[in-house]
Amino acid sequence: MTDRNVPDARRNRLDFWQAASGALLALFVCVHLLLEGTVVLSASLTNAIAWLLEATFVAQISAPIIVLLVVFHFYIAARKMPFRANELGIFVKHSRTLREPDTCLWLVQVFTAIIILLGVFFHVYTVMIDLPISVSRSAERMTSGWLPFYVIFLPCVVLHTGIGIYRLAAKYGYCTRATRQVWRKRIWIVMACYLVLGFLAMTRVWFHG
Amino acid sequence: MGRILTFEIFRYNPLDPRSMPHMQTFTLEEQRSMTLFVALNQIREHQDATLQFDFCCRAGICGSCGMVINGRPGLACHTQTSDLPERITLHPLPVFKLLGDLSVDTGTWFRNVGKKIESWLHTNKTFDPNAQEERMDNELATQIFELDRCIECGCCVAACGTALMRKDFIGATSINRMARFYIDPRDQRTPKDFYDLIGDDNGVFGCMGLLACDDICPKQIPLQDQLGIMRRMVSIESVRGWLPEGIRKRLGGGCGCGRHK
Amino acid sequence: MRIYQSDVLCMGAGLAGERVAVEAAQAGFSVICLSVVPPKRSHSSAAMGGMQAALGNSIMGDGDCPEIHFNDTVKGSDWGCDQEVARIFANTAPIAMREMAFLGVPWSRVVPGEHTYYKGGKPFQATEKAENEGLIHSRAFGGTAKWRTCYTSDGTGHAVLFTLDNRLLQLGVTMHDRTQAEALIHDGQTCMGCIARDLRTGELVAYLAKATLIATGGYGRIYRATTNAVICDGGGQITALNTGVVPLGNMEAVQFHPTGTVPTDILVTEGCRGDGGTLLDVNEYRFMPDYEPEKAELASRDVVSRRMTEHMRKGFGVPSPYGEHLWLDIRHLGEKHIKTNLREVYDISTHFLGVDPVHQLIPVRPTQHYSMGGVRINKDGHAYGLKGLFAAGEAACWDMHGFNRLGGNSLAETVVSGRVIGQKLVEFLQGYETTFSTQATNEAALQVQDRITQLKRGSGDNCYVLRNAMQDIMMEHVGIFRNGKDLEAGVAKLQELLERCKNMRLEGNQPGPNAEMSMALRVPGMIKLALCTAYGALMRTESRGAHAREDYPERNDKDWLVRTLAYWKEGADLPTLEYERATPWFILPPGDRGYGGGKIIQGDMTNEKVIGYDQQA
Repeated sequence: MTDRNVPDARRNRLDFWQAASGALLALFVCVHLLLEGTVVLSASLTNAIAWLLEATFVAQISAPIIVLLVVFHFYIAARKMPFRANELGIFVKHSRTLREPDTCLWLVQVFTAIIILLGVFFHVYTVMIDLPISVSRSAERMTSGWLPFYVIFLPCVVLHTGIGIYRLAAKYGYCTRATRQVWRKRIWIVMACYLVLGFLAMTRVWFHG
Repeated sequence: MGRILTFEIFRYNPLDPRSMPHMQTFTLEEQRSMTLFVALNQIREHQDATLQFDFCCRAGICGSCGMVINGRPGLACHTQTSDLPERITLHPLPVFKLLGDLSVDTGTWFRNVGKKIESWLHTNKTFDPNAQEERMDNELATQIFELDRCIECGCCVAACGTALMRKDFIGATSINRMARFYIDPRDQRTPKDFYDLIGDDNGVFGCMGLLACDDICPKQIPLQDQLGIMRRMVSIESVRGWLPEGIRKRLGGGCGCGRHK
Repeated sequence: MRIYQSDVLCMGAGLAGERVAVEAAQAGFSVICLSVVPPKRSHSSAAMGGMQAALGNSIMGDGDCPEIHFNDTVKGSDWGCDQEVARIFANTAPIAMREMAFLGVPWSRVVPGEHTYYKGGKPFQATEKAENEGLIHSRAFGGTAKWRTCYTSDGTGHAVLFTLDNRLLQLGVTMHDRTQAEALIHDGQTCMGCIARDLRTGELVAYLAKATLIATGGYGRIYRATTNAVICDGGGQITALNTGVVPLGNMEAVQFHPTGTVPTDILVTEGCRGDGGTLLDVNEYRFMPDYEPEKAELASRDVVSRRMTEHMRKGFGVPSPYGEHLWLDIRHLGEKHIKTNLREVYDISTHFLGVDPVHQLIPVRPTQHYSMGGVRINKDGHAYGLKGLFAAGEAACWDMHGFNRLGGNSLAETVVSGRVIGQKLVEFLQGYETTFSTQATNEAALQVQDRITQLKRGSGDNCYVLRNAMQDIMMEHVGIFRNGKDLEAGVAKLQELLERCKNMRLEGNQPGPNAEMSMALRVPGMIKLALCTAYGALMRTESRGAHAREDYPERNDKDWLVRTLAYWKEGADLPTLEYERATPWFILPPGDRGYGGGKIIQGDMTNEKVIGYDQQA
């Protein structure tokens, strides 16, 4: 065991942090969208939850943390992204000839990641300068031109989260060869549910205003 | 009368200054039980003697004839033309150094990566010719052989988006090789040793979970599962001293492999 | 010209070559291995069945010992083998297997308790001993008294080759793959290495070494229907033959395997029959018990192959567009057994034949499989004729196989002879110094260069036409059953072919890798090997093991208990044949094999030395 390169421990922990931050963010997205989705049931329920989170300062504290976490996750994961010359070209050509769904999905991950990174600033900024959070304020924003933003942002978040969870499970051996098809199917179903919920919520908010 | 097959074959001889990379078309009448081994040899013997490709055992055991067949890496010798459309496009495997046309230098690549990951059994014991062999559970021997079945054809590497973009990535084949030694009780290496060898972005952490390797492996080796087992083990090793031992242990267990040392 | 120098040069990096390399590298000598393919792709990897060694751990191998293994080997060889070598082999085999286990081979192990095994297609129960749990298990192979074939599922060659190659990686042995040896460097007394062609660039390279090992495998590709890989073209034997001073031994001893598949000629392992597979004819009738009541499908390979041919000649073959064949039936072994223990067989059947062996019959016919003959070496591995030249494995005629080798004995031979010859090679090298001659090096290089220049000028047939013609002659004239008339015609045709080689033409000429050039450089040598085989077969007027003469059906121990040595003098169009005693002394005097039938012309044993198995000569 001689002449061995001693690995750079700090760099090598990045993979763990990428996974951990990804898992945390995924958890957050799931909860956030569910709470958001309560508007489908009743606007006052959503308002009540919002009030509770603000009164306990959970929202004010977690928002910047989440933004930092997104930046952190992006910063670490970006070492895998095809930034170097021609890498993207090689990958796109490869995924096109190979016809492998998981390879294509990774491109989706890359593009949604960039959209989310930009989107999350606008989303948090507009919400945070307009406290307290309430359904009517959201409706105002929607009708004042923010609808197209959310129509793009929401699917990106749902896709990135769903594919991310699936990939995380596969990379760390929770999803195995035997269970892969099941995982894939279930992830698509959950993503579809979240999308439906999200769009229902948006419609509800739109008409609230 | 069989179908008339049209082969579009990548041609380039890097050592010939007059040669430019291009696709060349050949046509051939299909015969019964025709494999790409038969077809390519017929083309070389009767149409173009300069066509370069590699075959050895022609029985899917030696791994010489990996190439990209209609966009997907596979072994040419066990690909039957009857399973393919009339138009067949053949490219050399990417990632590996091109020697000429469909022939690539997998030998050097595997040799280098084998040295890098120290692909051999590590033990401080010495062989005693007079002693009975050490006992081993047959179930375990079978499991080791299951991972030892890799023929180093390079198809998983060629199918890997990471390997294409990052030339130093060791690929699923090498991680599987490490998994083989990891479950072998004769190998005395600890998780720390494996972490030192493959715990970086050129090793297990380079894998982006694209899983094309698992889908494409001509030997159906459970690459996905091995990648998962090794990544979890090495990853948890990477945060030794950072995470409380209790959490670390808990994260390590329960991957269902049941073969942790 | 690039020149490399080392203590040991291994031409060929299959099991035998790598095992010798391991031994030399462990002793601290510098080693360079040459291989036409990356070493893990060597044809050794395709050997599925296993390695015979009298470990006696399994219940069906209970009571086994090297002496029984020795007896099986000598009977299998039809008394053509060197009994001294066969004894060394049988005694070393168990150690070699345990050593491979130590190095990492995942041998299948004994699982105690009752198991269902098959013999002749019929299931029976046997209880593996509890005290042997976890020791190396063994399966049945043809021609053996005990079950003694160690195996790893059905990828034995693959698993052992990978283990050895990993060991070489660890030892830092230099590996030059895609390199084809073309000529030995020698001065008529001493071998100093070889001239090789770099297949990546086409340039010639000189390798100088104190000890040169030929371990390039067999020469099955002189036949059209062969289970051998495309690289098994006898490259090593050709370089030895071309020296004019190194003889090839028993080249007429060519084994045909009973179960080559149709039409791809890919081998399915003897393990199929060992595990209980049966042979059926056109009426799906099991015919082997009629010919061989006791051993049936598990008689030695030469016998089964001959019986199959005989049965097909009687009109019981299955007609197909690729010629007649018979059926191999393993359906009764069940899906689980076929998909685990015989998995490669399953893969081959489904991928290459489109046959599902769980429900369908596999088309098989006898196919050229193994070359018992090769570079004649003594028991220490030294080649006859040149100092510093060694050979091992299938490329060599160490001569433990005689005229027929047993299944599982060749794969075992690779690591056993590799171990034995490796040690002897190390002994040879200790304190040995030599002189490298620039003259000999240049002469050898010039000779290869001349052949290349000649090819570029040629205007006759191309190498593929000539090779195909040779393969067809061998199939037609020097097959399973041989006779004087056919052999004579075959020899004449081959001679004519050799003449045509002088004007061989290249279709394409390009720098860098050039597969046509590699083949073209090989073809004249292959025809010489074919001539050694055919001419040796013509002159041997008896039937022994795999050599079956219709016009001389008896085994003639009176005149032919000898080994053929074929030399090729420069400029000759036929080999010069000499003969030597098959064995220096006997442990097992010539007798009946117990299978195969046939008459024996008794030799005179009065002046022969006969010793006990444990006795020194």
